[in-house]
Amino acid sequence: MYLYDALDKEFLADRSAEFRGQVARRLAGELSEDQFKPLRLMNGLYLQLHAYMLRVAIPYGSLNAVQARRLAEIARRYDKGYGHFTTRQNIQFNWIKLADAPDILDQLAEVDLHAIQTSGNCIRNVTADPYAGATAEEVDDPRVWSEVIRQWSTLHPEFSFLPRKFKIAITAAPKDRTAARVHDIGLVARRDRDGTLGFEVIVGGGQGRTPYVGPTIKEHLPAGRLLSYLEAVLRVYNRHGRRDNIYKARIKILVAALGAEEFGRQVEEEWAKIDGARADLPDTELARIRGAFATTPFETLPATSAIFEANKAADPAFARFARNNVKPHKKSGYAVVVVSLKAVGQTPGDATADQLEVVADLAERYSLNDLRVTHAQNLVLPHVKLDDLPVVHAALQKAGLATANIDLASDIIACPGLDYCALANARAIPVAQHIAAKFADADYAEKVGELKIKISGCINACGHHHVAHIGVLGVDKKGEEFYQLSLGGSGAEDASIAQILGPALPADKVAEAVDTLVDKYLSVREGEERFLDTFRRVGMAPFKEAVYADAH
Amino acid sequence: MKVVTANRLIDGEVVFWKAGQWVERFADAELFTEAEPGEAAVAVGKGQPKVIVEPYLIDVVESGSGLAPVSYRERIRALGPTNEPTHGKQAEGGAAIEALQHASGAARSSGRLDLIRRK
Amino acid sequence: MPTLIKLTGGAFADLDNEFVHVADEDDAPNVDAVILSFTRFQAEGEALLAAGRKVGVRLESDQAVEDLAYDLPRLSVVALAFPKFRDGRAFTSARLLRERLGFTGEVRAVGDVFREQAGFMVRCGFDAFEPSDGSTAQEWGTAAGRFRHVYQRAADDRAPAFEERA
Repeated sequence: MYLYDALDKEFLADRSAEFRGQVARRLAGELSEDQFKPLRLMNGLYLQLHAYMLRVAIPYGSLNAVQARRLAEIARRYDKGYGHFTTRQNIQFNWIKLADAPDILDQLAEVDLHAIQTSGNCIRNVTADPYAGATAEEVDDPRVWSEVIRQWSTLHPEFSFLPRKFKIAITAAPKDRTAARVHDIGLVARRDRDGTLGFEVIVGGGQGRTPYVGPTIKEHLPAGRLLSYLEAVLRVYNRHGRRDNIYKARIKILVAALGAEEFGRQVEEEWAKIDGARADLPDTELARIRGAFATTPFETLPATSAIFEANKAADPAFARFARNNVKPHKKSGYAVVVVSLKAVGQTPGDATADQLEVVADLAERYSLNDLRVTHAQNLVLPHVKLDDLPVVHAALQKAGLATANIDLASDIIACPGLDYCALANARAIPVAQHIAAKFADADYAEKVGELKIKISGCINACGHHHVAHIGVLGVDKKGEEFYQLSLGGSGAEDASIAQILGPALPADKVAEAVDTLVDKYLSVREGEERFLDTFRRVGMAPFKEAVYADAH
Repeated sequence: MKVVTANRLIDGEVVFWKAGQWVERFADAELFTEAEPGEAAVAVGKGQPKVIVEPYLIDVVESGSGLAPVSYRERIRALGPTNEPTHGKQAEGGAAIEALQHASGAARSSGRLDLIRRK
Repeated sequence: MPTLIKLTGGAFADLDNEFVHVADEDDAPNVDAVILSFTRFQAEGEALLAAGRKVGVRLESDQAVEDLAYDLPRLSVVALAFPKFRDGRAFTSARLLRERLGFTGEVRAVGDVFREQAGFMVRCGFDAFEPSDGSTAQEWGTAAGRFRHVYQRAADDRAPAFEERA
């Protein structure tokens, strides 16, 4: 794991001091709200419905135990004892006072955490595969490149006032757990036939009002040229991205308007003019960062564990957990454990301070002091010994964190929606809770299999409804909450944008409609086919008929 | 009928205008039946950038159980998040809070969609 | 005349602004130093330079600095406009002027120029500022010197973190 050195720490301290000064000037009336708003947003501080909300970055989704405990302390001391994990590997505190924000940032900085660039029209927190360094699928450790980009993008002098926000995701595995294809830039690491590391560069994906699966503008960017190429992409965007209309200002609109080929050509032209010796990271620094991630002290263990097998045989709940939440690890005798924050009835992505502390302890004792956050709003203990799985499971169970539903229908992504968010048109959380309740029977949920339901409370699509197998979008119809369903999206390596099912439904009909869709799926699926694959095979018609015939 | 609302600068708390003061309870808010005094209150609020952020008028109606903001959003601001019933203003409980919660229930239930309409 | 803050040898100082901004519709004042729009410069620049005047050009945020490349050696000032402080195109323009086009004259920030951006501006190669927020040279110095470290190379000569570490 990368540890901040004195220089990184001084940087955070300086940033915190700067913000303290800005808050003081705002409170003293020296800065107007119009002047202050972009400044607080650059530190992730929003004014929401009930209070300020502070969005803290978890760069590439990686935390250690000390950091997780500090988040718990902040939740307890400055919030109401909980935090909300987002679809971009951040954590949000919902009940923050402006006057407390500088102290909170100081306390975060003490453990190398910050809120830098978690909002604003700049390069946002870089997200990465939460299984990085643990999965056998990856061709390289994406955290290395994420940390390279974190440093490069931090208070970038040229790219901090872009036309609009800018999000980068990185994965190095064929199975995409980052939604790379719906980011402003998605980077997929690959090795050439001769083993040379490079990135497929996907630019101009995105969700919101105008969803796009991003086109690939470079098939194999030599890894060492990453920063100069990013500089070229960002420069073309900064100069030519639209600034006249906030809804058309993302890079996806520029890429779509020019066409991927022309956009790619302009990037190449700009890239050719950049002096790589100045713009690319020196190999020595790359080696330093790589070294920090290469030191995970794995033990040599047998591939199977008698304890693990015996417990699976003896305890059906544990066996279910093992089936759904335990994923293969690159080292024999280890596993990746996904901790669900989607217990039925819970707010998706919320964790209490107590739960954060439990997970921090488990990470410290059983996962090499490593904890991850997923874009699906769950947590990951990436390096757990098979022998330790039963005790980890028992501890999670005790904390209400052992729900065995990863990627099942009740593992729902939901934004905070109108319960908290000033931009929302409708609530998302209660809808998620109603739908999850339909799949409370774990046998039934497993029978249904992989089903990604994602809910957004407005068109901004923080809940990723465009790339859901079943997407739910809250809309405001004459002051009432209505929900538009869409089917067939995916944010993974087979990315696609969901298609609208039909007219929006009132709040109390949504869970029922999802139920109907799943019934239809079960009646037409072939073999072990996922919901998404069935939809792709049979199309919209049977689902549409089922829901709207049922509703009338 | 209208009420003036804003968020308090220092902590973001939802506040309502009451005779020159900013109060925390919707039930205590001053009710404006005429446009002019409400707009005057907003203007005063705009002159208090060290106290509150972005004052604006909201529509309120008689909902059957008492006065309530017309829009769902404003009802949530006046109460707190519906997923955490012990958080925010609703934690206080009491008749006025219950009336607001009831109003929101009425607004949502199917078949009575026209009961409360946003202008 | 707007206040001018000038950065020389790492120090910020309030200076008299010897340049007069001449709007396209105004008559050219009889002064030694003027800043013109690009259009007006194309029409009148030659004559003014021949008459021994100091000439600066103001580029709006949607104008490409490359279009000035030929004339740069003769210009005293390139003024880059921030129509709103959130419009960040001038940061790119400044870097290109310094790093790609080798401009050594004054690069001046005009328009909605806000001291919170001092650090970004200096790093991109600006060395003169007409603040619109009433801020002073001393405040610009504080704002620009806020960070002890930087993470990337830009148009200034600051060593990025990876060089400090090496």
